[in-house]
Amino acid sequence: MDPVLEEIYALVVPSLPYVAGAYAILWIALVAYIGMAYSRVGRLEKEIAVLEESLERRGISA
Amino acid sequence: MNRNILVLSMLVLGGVLTTVGFIMAFFFTPPVLGPAVTNEAGRILGYQPLFSQKIFYFHVPVALSSFLVFFFTAFYGVRFLMTKEKQYDTRAKVATEVTLMFVILTMATGVLWTRFEWGRWWVWEPRLTTYFIMTLLVIAYFVLRNSIEDEERRATYAAVFGIIAFIDAPISFAITRIIPSSVHPVVLRSGGGLTGSQLAAFLIGLFGMLMIAYAIFNTRMREELVHDRLEAVKAALEG
Repeated sequence: MDPVLEEIYALVVPSLPYVAGAYAILWIALVAYIGMAYSRVGRLEKEIAVLEESLERRGISA
Repeated sequence: MNRNILVLSMLVLGGVLTTVGFIMAFFFTPPVLGPAVTNEAGRILGYQPLFSQKIFYFHVPVALSSFLVFFFTAFYGVRFLMTKEKQYDTRAKVATEVTLMFVILTMATGVLWTRFEWGRWWVWEPRLTTYFIMTLLVIAYFVLRNSIEDEERRATYAAVFGIIAFIDAPISFAITRIIPSSVHPVVLRSGGGLTGSQLAAFLIGLFGMLMIAYAIFNTRMREELVHDRLEAVKAALEG
């Protein structure tokens, strides 16, 4: 580790809440957005599978 | 390779790269020195290290990603106007949605830096103002889309609006160079911009963020395609 940084981080860093806050906002938002997109895709694919099965039973092609 | 696996791999790799970039930024890149610390006689004792500058290693990659993804709004807008194919309108819409996500994150991480360094949440300086205009244009894109019912007319107006709106992105990117008096830092410049380790951490974070943007765009596109397929299946069942 950079020795100067080591010394700095050992002291009180007044901007730490801002840096940590920015980092947290970034990752929480990205993970939530991606997670929601994946969950919607999963739900839609399940719905399609059920409907396609129903189509097959009736002998209709989409 | 299956496209879905490729997108998931890009997402994971993007997450790993951005994390590596941030770890490098926090533990291995030398600190940026800020204002001088002087004694009562005015003699310089040293320089104040700027820990807040670490925000740069994720704020700038997110901001650059927003510009790049917004470019695809304009690109697919042009493609739509040339071909009138619905897929390009969908791609432009998804690209703008991803742009909005990155624009909000750029704003959120940026204002936290501004609050600490400048003591204010917002400053009407050229970079922030032009980026704020871009944010409003991205929001206006969706307002426009939601205000038009006819599908073809909506796609055409949105394509034209997206192309015009994108003009603000290069202006916002270059404004700190066009107006040198701007108080916003100019990071990407020749001569004395970044040291080797700072540049390495920044580039790794940037590539990671671009991969994440690519993965998000493709995941949202997959959702749109699955949604269209669902509508087709529903129509077949009803018909």
